[in-house]
Amino acid sequence: MNTKLMLLAVSLLAFSGTAAAFDLGKFLEDRVKQELNKDKQTQPAPTQAPAAAQSAAAAPPPTKQKIDPRQLGFALFGDYSLEEENRIGSQISGNLLGAVQLVRDDTLQRYVNLVGNWVALQSGRQDVTWRFGVLDTEDINAFAAPGGYIFVTKGLYRLLNNEADLAGVLGHEIAHVTQKHHLKVLKQSSLIGALGQAASSKVQGSDPVVQNLIGNGAEIMARGLDKDAEFEADRVGMVYAARAGYIPWGLPGVLQDMAALPAKDSRTGLLYKTHPHPADRLAALGEAVDGRLDNVSGKELADRFYRIR
Amino acid sequence: MGRQAIQFRNQMEMDTMKLFLIPVAALVLYAASASAWAAPGTVLRNEKLYSQPAASASVTATVTKGANVEILAKQGGWLRVKAGKSTGWIRLLSVRAGAGGLGGAGLGDVVGAATSKSDPSRVVAVAGLRGLNDEDLKKAQFNADELARLDAWKVTPSQARSFASQSGLVAVNVPALPKPKPEQSASPWENN
Repeated sequence: MNTKLMLLAVSLLAFSGTAAAFDLGKFLEDRVKQELNKDKQTQPAPTQAPAAAQSAAAAPPPTKQKIDPRQLGFALFGDYSLEEENRIGSQISGNLLGAVQLVRDDTLQRYVNLVGNWVALQSGRQDVTWRFGVLDTEDINAFAAPGGYIFVTKGLYRLLNNEADLAGVLGHEIAHVTQKHHLKVLKQSSLIGALGQAASSKVQGSDPVVQNLIGNGAEIMARGLDKDAEFEADRVGMVYAARAGYIPWGLPGVLQDMAALPAKDSRTGLLYKTHPHPADRLAALGEAVDGRLDNVSGKELADRFYRIR
Repeated sequence: MGRQAIQFRNQMEMDTMKLFLIPVAALVLYAASASAWAAPGTVLRNEKLYSQPAASASVTATVTKGANVEILAKQGGWLRVKAGKSTGWIRLLSVRAGAGGLGGAGLGDVVGAATSKSDPSRVVAVAGLRGLNDEDLKKAQFNADELARLDAWKVTPSQARSFASQSGLVAVNVPALPKPKPEQSASPWENN
């Protein structure tokens, strides 16, 4: 798969390079302008192509030059290092937070971090720093990014009834990180990304190499994962919550509440684009759980649950 | 049991109220069809109804995949449902709440499938609300300030442990769940 993409990339570069010295930086800049013009909102086009693009284009590639994968950014063939994972997660999260802000409520955010960290402690993954945030949108959704970044929207938080529900939702997202679901997607698409889907303009704190890898803004969050990854995160996340001492039925309960929402509720538009329908998730989880958790008890902690206005 | 059942009913009533109130707040108008507290649901797999919320209780009836039920109450991993003339407890994960029937039945046409199965008269158009979408995410520009804000709220493992013990949460050993056989989740429309 990767080899095929490599060949494709080489042939594309070779083809473009025949006419004149191929300028990948220029190419990317044009792509960025193209992307920006597609959007109604006019933004100043970046005056400079990102560093990654420049380094990739530094030496004008002769027609038959092979591409060094390391030039294109991150490990295309090996596993991502923890440092790379953190950089990727930080970049995706910074972009996501450019689309939607965090709720300005210290008590809420701190509470979600405490619950989330306690659940994450049961995951066995100790090498990441977990960060949890509630996003200020009525949309119903949750996101995870590599490196331990977890987000829940205010709209989803409103559906929760107790701490066990929250633990179940966070458990699902934590599972995406521990199972490295997004990193696997990135590995499959990294060459395409590295060839320059586009890149963001220079923004303070932004990591152009990673940005080049992940495509436009936080679009990786809009593409979603395959449904098996979601089913797996449901199974694993439910167990994390149970291991943390909560009743295991938090996540299924939230899925039930989502299933009961009208199909055309605008708050679930992106959720259903990126996730299987809750009814399918309940059915898949039901096959996996059957009677296996009959003897698992736990706490709901409705009293301690922090309710937002 | 009678007293308990009433409590469950009240709980269910509250839950149902909430389900109705949230969409109203979001300018979604329901044409109420169900009775006050019985929520509709669909059975997701062939199952038993038990007299109590426990697999050790006596079986009062069986229900088949696709059957419509009324959800009367919820307790832990169990729902009390009415299926035809039978009433009993069924596993929470063997039923879906809501009016969408068996549901998505495969990716790609998730919303469409759910819509076609539900009664269109129950949902009226949504005005003026637009949530997060692909374009917002695609256009998003890195926000270092928000990322720093997120970082400032993080807690340490020891803070999380003491937070857990404050309410008596104790880590327990729960084995991982097996991955179900592929065909089980792949085709919910199949009769079995």
